[in-house]
Amino acid sequence: MNRWKKLTELLSAANHHHTTTGTFDEDGATLVNHWQRGVPVYGEPVMTPTLLFFAALAAIGLILALVRFFSPLGPFVGMNDAYAWGIWKTFNVMTLTALGSGPLAVGMAAWVFNREKLHMVMRTALVSGFLFYATGLVALGFDVGRAWNFYWIALPWRWNTESAMLEICFCMPVYCAVFLLFENLPLVLERFYYTGSDATKAFLRVCAPPLRRIYPFMLIGAYVFPLMHQSSLGGLMLLAGNKVHPLWQTPCLPFLYLLAACLCGLGFVAFLLLTASLRYSRPLDLGILGELGNLLSWMCFVFLAVRFVDLIWRGQLHTAFAFDKMSLLFLCETALILVPAVALRSRVVRETPRSLLNMATLACLGGLLFRFIPTTIAFFPAHHASYFPSMPELLMTIGYISLGIAAFSIAVKYFAILPGDIKDWNYMFRLVRARRQAATSEGEKPWPASLSTP
Amino acid sequence: MSPRINRRQLLVGIVGAGGAVAGGLATSAVAEEHPAHPVAPPDAVSMLYDNTICTGCRACMTACSEANGLPPDTSSGLPFETTLASGLWDIPADLNSKTKNIIKLYRETNDTGFAFVKRQCMHCLDPACVTGCPFGALKKSQWGAVTWNSSLCIGCRYCEVACPFDVPKFEWDKWNPKIVKCEFCFDQRLKQSKEPACTEVCPTGAVIFGKRTDLLARAKQRIADAPDKYFENRVYGEYEAGGTQVLYLSNVPFEKIGLPKLGSTSLGHYATKVTSVIYKWLSGPILAAVVLGALIKRNWNRHEAESLEREKETGLEEQL
Repeated sequence: MNRWKKLTELLSAANHHHTTTGTFDEDGATLVNHWQRGVPVYGEPVMTPTLLFFAALAAIGLILALVRFFSPLGPFVGMNDAYAWGIWKTFNVMTLTALGSGPLAVGMAAWVFNREKLHMVMRTALVSGFLFYATGLVALGFDVGRAWNFYWIALPWRWNTESAMLEICFCMPVYCAVFLLFENLPLVLERFYYTGSDATKAFLRVCAPPLRRIYPFMLIGAYVFPLMHQSSLGGLMLLAGNKVHPLWQTPCLPFLYLLAACLCGLGFVAFLLLTASLRYSRPLDLGILGELGNLLSWMCFVFLAVRFVDLIWRGQLHTAFAFDKMSLLFLCETALILVPAVALRSRVVRETPRSLLNMATLACLGGLLFRFIPTTIAFFPAHHASYFPSMPELLMTIGYISLGIAAFSIAVKYFAILPGDIKDWNYMFRLVRARRQAATSEGEKPWPASLSTP
Repeated sequence: MSPRINRRQLLVGIVGAGGAVAGGLATSAVAEEHPAHPVAPPDAVSMLYDNTICTGCRACMTACSEANGLPPDTSSGLPFETTLASGLWDIPADLNSKTKNIIKLYRETNDTGFAFVKRQCMHCLDPACVTGCPFGALKKSQWGAVTWNSSLCIGCRYCEVACPFDVPKFEWDKWNPKIVKCEFCFDQRLKQSKEPACTEVCPTGAVIFGKRTDLLARAKQRIADAPDKYFENRVYGEYEAGGTQVLYLSNVPFEKIGLPKLGSTSLGHYATKVTSVIYKWLSGPILAAVVLGALIKRNWNRHEAESLEREKETGLEEQL
């Protein structure tokens, strides 16, 4: 395949850079890496057929969502009284926000555990995380039957504080609208700074210091909130009791959901960096990607350790190896996490883009499977019933995901999200300047949308 | 920039927050909100259903629909034309958003016997639906009746996922959907000191109304009077899911008539035993914030210093 060939070339270039300049020492303390700062994707049109495709899917989903708001749930969904939660909750919210936990997992690694290298990929994690959460919340908004009563969330004395659902209803919107948005603010303001008038620049110069001062405090909330609601998502299934198969129904479910979120967060950031770099032909920094792979591997091991200690402690190990339908599902899920855990211990594997991409994908699938199974596949209501998402349900779920993909591919072209070289940044600016001089007479807006490859 | 937090300050912070957690633990030990095996309050009302007395006349269903103002339920699953009198008759197959109470027939596969069962809300002593309901739309009202308040419900359907008996039903076909379930005729009758419609109308006394303590004693007396008549010589609902206010006596296995096999621990206890400690006075999140704050502060200062150096080196503003 052409793209793989391109990637291999990029890989050799990256390896070359890595070995010749020796940009980091054994402790990873030196920070001069190949990826040195976020650089917007330039030299490519914003509107591409792929973007239009995803935008169309998103439009279908959102139009259906709007129709759903003026229609009862019944004709729209495959849900029933026994399977009262469909994929909007169980997949878009309970499962996919694990992929959106990059800001939590990578952020904690960088800011709390001082993995300095990972600061470089924070923006990728933050933007994708925000999109996963925002689309998940939209899905939730159209899933609930009586959304107009949601205003009670503003009145704490009405809260049932022991309900995991309440915790999620409060924490997730606040996390997304306050903490994630704040963390994403610098990259938005940065664009205004570089493209704006002198007055804008002066204004942003005044704004920057106070923002910087509260930034570390906002970081605390940005980790405490997801630690709470990512575990509460698992806590939801506790009340379902023995409707959930014993392999998944455990008092550890909240903790395991949180670990799965961290696992998926790390895995997805690696996956996204690799695929986006591939898509936009950006060079890779295997030191940083290898670090992600390294942490991902450890996180997989921690998850599996907790999973198996829990099974042994509850005396359910024999259920896991009964080789019936549920046991095979469990073994499949475990294998998807175990393979990357072991493989990524090898430095060669995690610093080879193709294998890192494969392993990160497997780990994400394993984590997602773990989070999805107890909500639907291993969920057995007291009455015989079945659930399969209806066509509008599927289209809306696909629409929300497409909305995220479309928004991300637009964002990387306008904002400095994907990491790149300083040389790249400087080159982009030379190009912008040349373009601006050429375009001023035509009244065209330069950076970076209208740039084409020189 | 404020001075760096040293090891001692960090330690003090951790100890302080740890104290908060310990305080939370101590308080939770005094008043446990969800004991594993809740005790029924003395005024708890109850229903006792004995399927050896029930003749399956379904008078309770009609009375229930009438008392609760429920529409005729013609959702038998059969085509409209073939249903009795073209849908005029009430023939639900199970509990649903138009049926809060139902008599169902269980028949042995080889036709050797049959049994009736009456299904409605069990009015658990510690209901999972109430524990899960985010704004308390479902609540344990006076005399232990589990009631639903439309103005507090957001329609998240967590009650349906949580209920071990699959009782709450959702109006899938309405734009303004309600959660429909037996509320022990709380507003309609209990408040007027009348017993529920179903127990009042029952001609054989298969389902009777009374205080839970009285009815439990009565059920046990029936078992003692006729040993081995009833399945396992026990009352279903005495301990199931922490105990329910609706009690059952059956001459066939409970599982065969659709009463699930459940542990004796309340689901509310199972689901909140860890979180109630962690979230007591928000001690867990506060502790996490203190520890994270100290570490972030340290790393932030380090990162800022390195950023300055890099800015000098590259001549470019550092990115956050």
